[in-house]
Amino acid sequence: MVKGLSNLINKEIKELLRDPKIMVGMVLMPLITFPLMGAAMNISTSTMQESMRQVSVMLMNLDKGPLAESLLLMLQNMNVTIIETSSSTVEEALVALSQSNITTLVVIPQGFSQNLTLGLKGKIEIYSVFESLSLAEGIRSSAVEVPINLYKNALVTQAIRQAFPDRDPLTVLDPISVSNVAVVKGKIVNVSSDVLRSLFMSQSLGFPMVIMLLLISATQIAATSISIEKEEKTLETLLTVPISRLGILTGKLAGSVVVAAAGAIASMIGVDYYIGSINAMVPTQNVSLEDLGLSITPLSYCLLGVMIFVTIVSALALAIIVAAFSENVRSAQSLVTPINFIFIFPSLILMFADIQMLPYPVQIVLYAIPYTHSIIASKAAFLGDYFTMLVSIAYVSAFTIVTLYIAARIFTTEKIVTARISLRRLKLRKT
Amino acid sequence: MSQIAIEARNLVKMFGNITALNGLSFTVTQGEIFGLIGPNGAGKTTTLRILATLIKPSSGYAKIFGYDVEKNPSEVRRIISYLPEEAGAYKNLSGYEYLEFMANFYNQNTQEGKAAVEEAAKISGLGERLKDRVKTYSKGMARRLLLARALMMKPKLAILDEPTSGLDVVHAFHVRRIIQEYAKTHGVTVLLSSHNMLEVEFLCSQVALVNEGKVVGQGSPHELKSHYGVDNLEAVFMEATKLG
Repeated sequence: MVKGLSNLINKEIKELLRDPKIMVGMVLMPLITFPLMGAAMNISTSTMQESMRQVSVMLMNLDKGPLAESLLLMLQNMNVTIIETSSSTVEEALVALSQSNITTLVVIPQGFSQNLTLGLKGKIEIYSVFESLSLAEGIRSSAVEVPINLYKNALVTQAIRQAFPDRDPLTVLDPISVSNVAVVKGKIVNVSSDVLRSLFMSQSLGFPMVIMLLLISATQIAATSISIEKEEKTLETLLTVPISRLGILTGKLAGSVVVAAAGAIASMIGVDYYIGSINAMVPTQNVSLEDLGLSITPLSYCLLGVMIFVTIVSALALAIIVAAFSENVRSAQSLVTPINFIFIFPSLILMFADIQMLPYPVQIVLYAIPYTHSIIASKAAFLGDYFTMLVSIAYVSAFTIVTLYIAARIFTTEKIVTARISLRRLKLRKT
Repeated sequence: MSQIAIEARNLVKMFGNITALNGLSFTVTQGEIFGLIGPNGAGKTTTLRILATLIKPSSGYAKIFGYDVEKNPSEVRRIISYLPEEAGAYKNLSGYEYLEFMANFYNQNTQEGKAAVEEAAKISGLGERLKDRVKTYSKGMARRLLLARALMMKPKLAILDEPTSGLDVVHAFHVRRIIQEYAKTHGVTVLLSSHNMLEVEFLCSQVALVNEGKVVGQGSPHELKSHYGVDNLEAVFMEATKLG
């Protein structure tokens, strides 16, 4: 039995990994696609950052007053390259702008300095040329506003100083200080809520996404491994060799788990690189879950491992049940697609919401889907909530036993040979 | 006295409302090459599938070397090999890998497995091509590989469904020669089904004529021809089923 099983698992792995559809789709694609996406993001981000570092503007200074001059000085101090134009009208200046590689025109109208000195509003016009409608172009156009806003602040501070010589201008401008304190697991954490929010976001997005990818690829592999036997007419021969039907089922499940794990590892490597590329773009505060007392304990790790295992086995058994009714690989993949919704639905909802915040009917639907519990358990692992994890494992295990039982029933009866759902027939029936 | 290899009694098989077998009975003696002949839908493949433990009869019973196919399928699987009509091999394995994979189910040690694979290599006559992946094989080559797989374990009973189906004259000749030589040399009992009356006449010592799920005549090709007073099995079949 053991020899027969290992023989079958070896063959399953060999066959699946040599199948170009699986090798390319499950292993190579994530390994190539995600890093490529990350590299593309990196290139565009560095281009964006570069364009923000080297801001060039065309200037039409019609004021020439002292305050206009001090504004220009401030722009220059903030690395903005200024090209003065001799044009006398905005239209002329815009023509000159279109002939250059500069995309921003700053116009300081006459009377700018005088108005400000008299306590009236000074006016600055910024003309931005949009050609490619890219994100970098939008950022570049707003880059010149940063030094102008700083200049405005300096003017306000100066005015406050003159009006209230004995008061701190910053206090006048921002009289109330708000301190945002985060409390995690009953402990005050010296980190801003915003940082924590983004940290939790990245954690709560990550696991459901990985689980979702893993389950989708695992079910496709399992369905393929059964349906390819039907398509290539090898199943009948396999069912007549001296190995039990349950042995064949176990071999199929084990082979699919190994290949799905290879796919999952490839996906995780790819996703890790991709997330790393994104993180590199955003300066983050050095905060880890360990710092917050949210690290996963060895027991949580073990329970999480059990959870992932039973989740995958149940999904594989489900796929095998469906694939048993298929005629070929194409029909199996079509039949398996609806199963994917029960992975995607809870994953997407729980990425962004807490289940208890949802309306009762949605909660009931979600709780009924076993894969919801896999995600709940992953969140509970971070909080060290063993009870929730054990309840989730019990629910998914019960579901796994039922699906395995049904799969075993199909395998031990002649249904595995005779059951057929023809997609063509279904379509005909509909019409 | 020869042992009974197959005993099929009153086999009935229903698929929903369709009666595939309707009280089919026949007996095969050890060492025989026994042919089931009949038109499409007569019940030949259903009979072979029941004997190969793939499906169960709705009523009646079948025994292979004394083992009931329904009650002792594991014992039956150890002593038979089955070649389905449209069987394929795993396309992404090489011919050798496929033979090794199948041999490993029957052999407890590596030596026996290797000997079986060498035997299969000889039977198939595919030589160096066994190192290539099955997906590069022609239909005839794949069929020879599958037949070699079915015979390499020297099963007590080889169940072959349309062994030369879809093959050209050269490959069909090769396959028939293999079956004949193997049965003779190793005493393997062979049960085969075929549309090809010439093939059956050439290979089989005993023949059962199957029509509408029943055996309508049984005997050696010579006996059947004498009984119906005709000179070939095709005419025998037409007489027996009153289709002519």
